[in-house]
Amino acid sequence: MTVVPELEFKTMLSGLNFKMPRRFLINSPEDYSGSFPAVLKVSSEAITHKTEVGAVMGDIKTMGNFKETFKEMKRKFPGETIYAEEMAKKGVEVIIGLVKDQQFGKLLMFGIGGFYSELIRDVTFKRIPIDRFDSEDLLEELKFGRVFEGYRGLKVNREILVDLLLKISDFAVKKEFSQIDFNPVFLYEDGYLIIDAKMVI
Amino acid sequence: MSLTNLFSVSSICLVGASREEGKVGNVILKNLKKNYKGEIILVHPSAEQIEGVKCYRSIESIPHSIDLGIISLPSKKAVEALTSLAEKGCKICIPVAGGFGEQGDEGKQLESEMKRIASKFGTRIIGPNCVGVIIPRTGLNTALTTEERSNFPSDGPIGFISQSGALGLLAMDEFSDSGIGFSSFISLGNEVDVDETDMLSAMGDDDRTKSIALYLEKISEIEKFLSESRNISQKKGIVVLKGGQTESGSRATSLHTGSLLKTSFSLNGIFRQSGIIQANNEIEMIDFASVLSTAKPVRGKRIAVVSSAGGVGVISTDALENEGFKVNRTSNELAGIIKTKISQLGSPFNPIDMTAEATNIQYENVINELDKSGEFDAILAFVLFQTFGVTEDIIEFLSRFNKEAKASLVVGVIGGEYSRMAIRKMNENGIAAFPSVRRAVSSLGALYERWEFLRRFEK
Repeated sequence: MTVVPELEFKTMLSGLNFKMPRRFLINSPEDYSGSFPAVLKVSSEAITHKTEVGAVMGDIKTMGNFKETFKEMKRKFPGETIYAEEMAKKGVEVIIGLVKDQQFGKLLMFGIGGFYSELIRDVTFKRIPIDRFDSEDLLEELKFGRVFEGYRGLKVNREILVDLLLKISDFAVKKEFSQIDFNPVFLYEDGYLIIDAKMVI
Repeated sequence: MSLTNLFSVSSICLVGASREEGKVGNVILKNLKKNYKGEIILVHPSAEQIEGVKCYRSIESIPHSIDLGIISLPSKKAVEALTSLAEKGCKICIPVAGGFGEQGDEGKQLESEMKRIASKFGTRIIGPNCVGVIIPRTGLNTALTTEERSNFPSDGPIGFISQSGALGLLAMDEFSDSGIGFSSFISLGNEVDVDETDMLSAMGDDDRTKSIALYLEKISEIEKFLSESRNISQKKGIVVLKGGQTESGSRATSLHTGSLLKTSFSLNGIFRQSGIIQANNEIEMIDFASVLSTAKPVRGKRIAVVSSAGGVGVISTDALENEGFKVNRTSNELAGIIKTKISQLGSPFNPIDMTAEATNIQYENVINELDKSGEFDAILAFVLFQTFGVTEDIIEFLSRFNKEAKASLVVGVIGGEYSRMAIRKMNENGIAAFPSVRRAVSSLGALYERWEFLRRFEK
């Protein structure tokens, strides 16, 4: 089982036109030309749960702040690749996953993301490939699927979400993997952004 | 001869018939004698006849071919009988007794021997360690219960496959006085040969079976089961009650997806891809199978509620909205029409309340108008017999409406003995009728899920 470095995986996804925040490889702080706030991340093969070890540092508001954080990260993770992203504005959070199961074959998982997701575990599974109807069903099958009708001023474009799920299924058909997380994915009124993506082969 | 022939075999051979009252081989014989319409052939080493049926000394000495063999003998002897039957060209065998794989290594060896016979001779084996089969249309019944204690199912549209023989019999007994009939009941037992998918296919091909209910604890070949279900569910509804945990085969948990697969895996979404509707308990399983066999799929979320009791309308509305349906208000135009058809004290807005002054003709008029308006996808009618204006004659209208209308119809009848008798008559007339708000509403849910699947194939 090998972890694909996150930056490499994200680059692959960009090539396939998946939408993610603007991303910059950072060798020195000057390489960042995006907006603030920004996020700095370590792209490593070894670390998959990064927030716990400080390999993701978010909410960086100024260049000064950026430089300091970068220096600190370099010290903590010597030799590792570091990249930065523009911090995305909050959307409705979902988790989309792919897993190769011995019994069922390739499965797509769709669920509610965010702070309470680990508690409510509102997820549903489909065998890949899915069709448009399956994709629509995924939204219906969640207990908290009502968030897609709009929640706390956050609106979701169902059509775009259905298309994204289909695009991910299509991607899964062609790819070999053991597990993939798109977690979280932010949904907006006019689009979506994959905030984090991890792949294990 | 395929498994489908099981539904129509005209002669059967019972090996292990017994003269002794209460013995399995005696109970089965008596049940067969009483109900089976075909020819019964018995095999017994010493008896000339049992219960008036001639016995052959051995399987070999039977002068003609055998379609179906029922073996009521303990483990080793059962395998011997199976071998003789297979050599004689018998195509389906049902060893009912236990004492095989469920009892250790020796039993497992006997099961391997059975498998070998099945593949060598092409004989299909149902069981062992099973209740066997009940086919009401031919009277074939290998169950070990007597008619004094348990009602045998009557003929009807539901095909029922169970990995627990006892649960299957209990469920059918429970429903026997609701007027719900079965095209067939199959208890799979240890599944040395015939498994749930084989039986599902056979029921898929059987014209008398309009919907299929399965109680499953394990699914041996999931891939095969799902794809066969998807084929069959384009023609008939499939309901599964899944007992026990179903675990995915994955062990990896390094990412979130993997760990959620471990902790929160559910078959629901995967079943829906194959048109399988999941039931939560044995009552829902038969309710859903029943409603799928008689009522039209519900093609949208707009439900009209009609009743003669305001409270029933109100709690039905709550239950429907909880289920995700809309009890949308009738248009002013439609309300105006309905107002002229019901008591002045009633309410023409959805939920429509006709009050205790309701009569058969009011029900008929209102239900027809609701359908004609095109404002609703389904009508949930509570036909309550506690008031004088409503009589059993209404069944004739409901039955006709069910066949001809655009909207789907589900009926609720709440009450005691009299109402239960009415439910029975309705079900016998192909009207989906339920004894509670909860069950009627859940069944509408199943009809909606059915349409959600079928719309894939509409042009």
